[in-house]
This record gives sequence, C-alpha cells and structure tokens, in this order.
Amino acid sequence: MSKSRLFCFFILLLCLSNTSSALFQPPTTTETYLGKVEDFCPKKHINSWRQQQQIEGVDIAASPVCSPDNPYNIAAFVKGTNNVSMATLMNTHLAPDTLIKGKDLDGDGDPDEIHIRLEVLELNGFSPDLADPVTTYNIAPGIQPGFWTFVPKHRGMSNKSAETLVANPLIRLPSPAIRVEQGDKVFITLENSHYFPHTIHLHGVDHSFQTTKGEGNDGVPQTSNKLIMPGKQFTYEITPRQPGTMVYHCHVQAHTHIMMGLIGMFIVEENRANNWVQTFNVGNGFVRHSSKAVAKKYDREYDLQYQDIDRELHNIIQTANDSRLLAKAFNRDYNITERTPDYFILNGRSFPFTLRESLIIVKPEEKIKLRVFNAGDQLLALHTHGFKPTSTHLDGVELKPSARIQRDVFTLGPAQRVDLELYAHNDGLHNMGAGIWTFHDHNELGVTTDGIYPGGHISSIVFESFLGENGMPKLQGVDPTPFFTAEFYKKQYPVWTLSDDKKHYGDVFIATDESLPAEDSETTDETQMLILLAQIIVLIGTVILVKRNTGNSHEA
Amino acid sequence: MKHNKISTGTLVALGLSIQSLYAVAETGTDNITEVKDHSHISHNHSHAAKDKIAEGMCGSGMRMDLDGMVMHENIDNLPKDCKQISEEISIQVKAGVKYSEPYPGTVFGLDSHSWHAKPCARITIEFKNEDEIRHQWMLHGLPRYLYPGGMFHIEANGLTTKTGTFIVPSSHYTYLVHCDIAQHMEKGMKAQFVIGKGRKDLSSIPGLTEAKFADSYPNKSSTAISTFRSENIE
Repeated sequence: MSKSRLFCFFILLLCLSNTSSALFQPPTTTETYLGKVEDFCPKKHINSWRQQQQIEGVDIAASPVCSPDNPYNIAAFVKGTNNVSMATLMNTHLAPDTLIKGKDLDGDGDPDEIHIRLEVLELNGFSPDLADPVTTYNIAPGIQPGFWTFVPKHRGMSNKSAETLVANPLIRLPSPAIRVEQGDKVFITLENSHYFPHTIHLHGVDHSFQTTKGEGNDGVPQTSNKLIMPGKQFTYEITPRQPGTMVYHCHVQAHTHIMMGLIGMFIVEENRANNWVQTFNVGNGFVRHSSKAVAKKYDREYDLQYQDIDRELHNIIQTANDSRLLAKAFNRDYNITERTPDYFILNGRSFPFTLRESLIIVKPEEKIKLRVFNAGDQLLALHTHGFKPTSTHLDGVELKPSARIQRDVFTLGPAQRVDLELYAHNDGLHNMGAGIWTFHDHNELGVTTDGIYPGGHISSIVFESFLGENGMPKLQGVDPTPFFTAEFYKKQYPVWTLSDDKKHYGDVFIATDESLPAEDSETTDETQMLILLAQIIVLIGTVILVKRNTGNSHEA
Repeated sequence: MKHNKISTGTLVALGLSIQSLYAVAETGTDNITEVKDHSHISHNHSHAAKDKIAEGMCGSGMRMDLDGMVMHENIDNLPKDCKQISEEISIQVKAGVKYSEPYPGTVFGLDSHSWHAKPCARITIEFKNEDEIRHQWMLHGLPRYLYPGGMFHIEANGLTTKTGTFIVPSSHYTYLVHCDIAQHMEKGMKAQFVIGKGRKDLSSIPGLTEAKFADSYPNKSSTAISTFRSENIE
C-alpha cells in the first residue's frame, strides 16, 4: 500500500472520530418538581357523615366514600323540608319551601302530593371585577369549564362562604337525580334565577300536554310553552302512571343548554306502602335511602350520569358579561357541527375526582342496581372490569327476563338509559372475585381529559375489603400523586414520570429526595474522555507516519 | 460608630399605618369581591358539633320563614366606637328584572345602586322583591365582632318584602351591597352604601362606575349597542 494512501487513511480516521463523537450528545433529562398536589380526600369531608344513621326517623345507609352526601340533606329530601325540624334544616342549605310533601292521597302511609322547587344557577362564570371565574366548581384538578345546572331551590349565598369563591355544595353537576313515586301528584316549579330563559321538558315521564289550567306542560318553546324568562317561575304538573328511569332537561336552545348541564335523571319509583322516596340525589352516585321496591331486590343503588363536554362551548360564559354578547355567542356564533369533546364526566367529575365520589362499593354476593344515563352527545360504551352486569330496563321500561342481556360493554346513545344489575357472585361470569375493578367508557375519548390519559369517565367498583381510610381504594398500581395536580392535565409532566426511574421516557423528571444528576454527568464525561483519547492516538499515529514518509523519501 | 436615628417623619408614618390597620381590622374585608379563591380557608362558624354546615347561620340573629330570612339583624347593639345613634334612616329598596332596563346588558336590577347615611346611623331596609324568584340585599364590610362574617343579609322570596335593621360604626366607609346568588351581582345587582364621606367607589356598579374587566364590543359605530353607555347612565 502506498505511503500517501496510508496517510489519507489516517486523516480520514481522524475526521471520522471527530464526527462520530458529535452524534453522542442528546440533551439530558432536566429536573422538575411536582406542583401543588391535592389530597386524595381533602380534610373538609366529615367522617360522621359516612356512618349509617337515622335522622328524624329516616334510615340513611352508610356511605364510606371520601365525599359522602350530607345526611341532613337526605333526611330533608325524604321527609320534605316542611316536615323536618329547624335544627335539621339548619344543617343544610335548603329553604323551608324547597320540597313540600303533602297529603297521603291513597292512604298507604306516604305523601302523594309533592311540590318541588328548582332554580337554574351558573358555575365558573365571568366577573367584571376579577380575573378568575366565580362560583367555582372543578371537574378535575385545575379544570373549570362553565356550567349551568338545575339546583334544588335553597337559601343563602351561592358561594360556600364570604371568604371563598367556591360554589356551595348544592350547586354542582350533574343536575340532581329527582325521584317521585308512581301515582304521586307532582308539581315542579322552575324559578328561573339565571339570566337566560329556560324551560323543563320531562323526557319519558308520563305527563299530559297541558296542565289543569290549560297551560303547556311539555316545555318545548316551538310547540307548548313560552320561554320562562329570568325572574319568572312556572309550574309543571304530572301524575306519572309508569315507573322507570327517565330524564328532565331544558328545551330552550336545547343543543347548547342541555350540553351546558341542564339535564338530569327523573326516576319514577314503583308505588309501595310507606314509600317515602329520596326526592333529590345531589351529585348522583349512591342513593342513601332507596325506595321500598329497590331495597327489596338490591343491596345498594347508584345513579350514574355520563356527559361529554366541548370546552369551546363552556368557555363562552367566561369571555363576557353583557347578556347580549353572551346570547349572540351561544345562539348564533357557536357552531355545534364543529363540536369536538374535550372533557368527559361521570356524575359531574372526571378522574381522579370520580374516585372521591363515584366509587361503586360492594361486598361479595351483593346485588347492586345501577341506573346508567348517557346525558352527552357521544356514544357511551360502558365497560366494567371484573363483572358482567345484566340489563333489566331500557329507557326505564322493564325488560322481560328472556330479553335481558348480560355482557361487559353496554352501549348507550344520547339520552338513553339502561338499568343494570351488578351481582357480586364469584363464578367468573357475574363477577371475578374481590378487587378494585375499573369501569369506564371504552370509547377511547371517554378515558381522557383534554387528550391526557388517565382522565375522563374512569371510576371503580371497589369491594369493601379493598377500601381504605377516608374512602381511598387500596390501590396497588402506579403512584397516583401526579394525577392530583393541575400541571398533569396541562401536559407538563411525562405520563410515566413516577415509574420512570431510569429516565427512558420523560423530557423532565420529577425530582425526589435521592440524589441523581451528579451520577449521570460522570458517565457522560467518561465516554467523552475515551473518545478524546482515541482521537489523540490517531493524531500521534498520523504524525509519526508523516515523519517516516518524509524520512524515507531521502533514502537512496 | 453610627447611631440609627428615627426621624419624626418615620414615626408619623408608622403611627398612621398602625391607625389604618386598626381601622381595616374593625371594618373587616375591604371589598368582598376582591377575594381570590381562598378555598383552603374554611370559614367555620359552627358553634356546636362538627356535623353542622358552617355559614354563619348559627341560629343567633337570624329569622327565617316561608317568605325568606334576615341574618345578623342589629337593632340596639351600638358599635363600640359610637356613643349614640346619629340618625334613623328607613330605605325601601326594590329589586327585579324591570330595574335592569336602564342598564343595557344587565338582566337583574335594583331601583337604586347607591345609598347614603351618617356614621353611627341605624338603618332599616325594606327589601321589596318584585320578581318571582328569590333575591338578596347583602351588605359586606361591617365589624366582625358585631356581625358574623362582617355581613348583614336580607333574603326575600319571589313577590315578598322583608325588612331588617343594622347599625353602622363611626368610620367613613363605602360598603358593598349585592345579591349573592350566582351571577346576580354581575348581571346588575351590585350597589354601594356610602357612610359619611365614604371611601373609594366600588367597581362595576351599573350607572356609576366602570368594570375592571370591561366587555369589548364589535362594530362600535354601526349598532345601537355602541351608544348604550353614554345614553343610559343616570
């Protein structure tokens, strides 16, 4: 081989060694810290509320979740605000005329004249005095879309107190599940305390087209009712002959008002003796005082309302104050045909807040009644891990035994309902044994919050043996701490962050107390030193060869 | 060696700041609407068991019936800085959607958004609700030793009238008055009660003051909306 070729070869090797060292310099993973982490169960939730108890003669079942229903509310909702003591009423935000239960018309031991009063209130709305929304309600850490909701008429401030902007606990999503008894004479008065007009349509509930006074009773502005303007009230009258899981919702600009939250379950319970029903189930979820018919067949009962949310619609009320600007934005500017859902809620919350309120608690061999309602615009494909429930009613109409279906994914179109029987019988079909069994929408959008997983509708069926203190399930999966930060849902943390101690997957890593960065830099330096050494050897080799060549050229 | 001399000016400034701190403490929160979300603060006003809902409704100073309620009424308990009642004032306040008409863009309203009285006045409010839904006349900023939470609150159901009385302390102050049902204040039910010379006007009062975060309007020249502010302020 010629000396010049050898010389070129060494120069090439030198160059290559220089270029190849530049390829091994990807950026290092930088350190960050978790932002404010919410407690799984904030201390404000009262332990004595979780116990089984009796208030004013009303039996209230135990509710071991983090955030149980106020038992005084339950007593007032069962007896009527006119039939409880002032002391009990003072333990609620209810007004004396929220729920008036009157005469026992059929003499079977329970009242059959029921007068319900509802208001419409706004959550996370605009203020011309503050940069942030007012009367706040979070569906997930840091997420506050605007909402409108039906609320039992009550008394006092819409905020929890004068020192906070957080909404009082009665004002929340979903619009509360309402229960009446088959055959009751029910008057539903809507006091429109909102700044837009609204109505109530009783979907699926047996009602005549007109009230006894000849006024419209269907709640539809195009055919039966004038708009109930702000400041006005209107009373609907029904005497439902048929039981079942039905619906009520606003029918003004239904495409936006329903989506904003003005939709809830309306349940007509089967007529039984001494059947004082729990007229409101605020926040849905566990029914702490079931009707006689349900309590006979089932050990527990849950109301589950699903909804999907388009952030663009719900932000409108956070952009302006003038009612004319808002009306135009809702009625003429917003285009539902371009709708994309971003958030998905079960009983008014997304994961992880669903774990505080919407756990389904169960013991082996129990039979649980689930009333499932799709109040959203997307198809719901409800899947239960560890169980295959059986449908018993579709849209509130009972199925004959031969028509009942047992499966693990139930699909519901918008406004459809299915009553399910969950049987904790460990035979591998009804149930696969005790555990923490997730239930969620298998429509993959539904398990995300603004595209981040886990989020959306996710909740769990938890056996009592797997339930810990303050209603926290004894989770044995990944550390859930990042899920309780607003930053996680703002996409600021790598999703696998707390599982990723080798830093394979994150652009940032959550620093812990153990030291990490020093070790890393040492390793990098080592490699670089070796490369540098190799470069030096090649250079020396080249110089020697060049000198030899020049030396040789002088030989004879 | 240097000596730290405290000048007369510094002493005066220190004295004044202590004075103003005392005044603020006496009169409570300056303007309740300025409060950010302090949800970690629990305004726990319950006297008895932890079971009770906390909202300052302890049973004392509250009367409630099917027409509504009055909370923290004070007829004859003089504030400690008042030697005697300076004047007796009776005001009828009417609330309802119809009173929003002079103020385009609002939906609920009051027949007046500003009242005046002397320091140490005894003030009786006859709150007449002309809507079919409930409304409130709620005053904030009173001394907390006399009024729990610094509030005096009248709530009247639809088409009812509720009357209540309170006594103001001797400080010159501007108290926030509003209806505290979600969005009622924002949509027109904000007002102020000026005692003596008052203090700074509150923001966003219909017909009186500007908003801190004002709406922006498209096509200012072509629609009626563009001229509403100048035509309709009383």
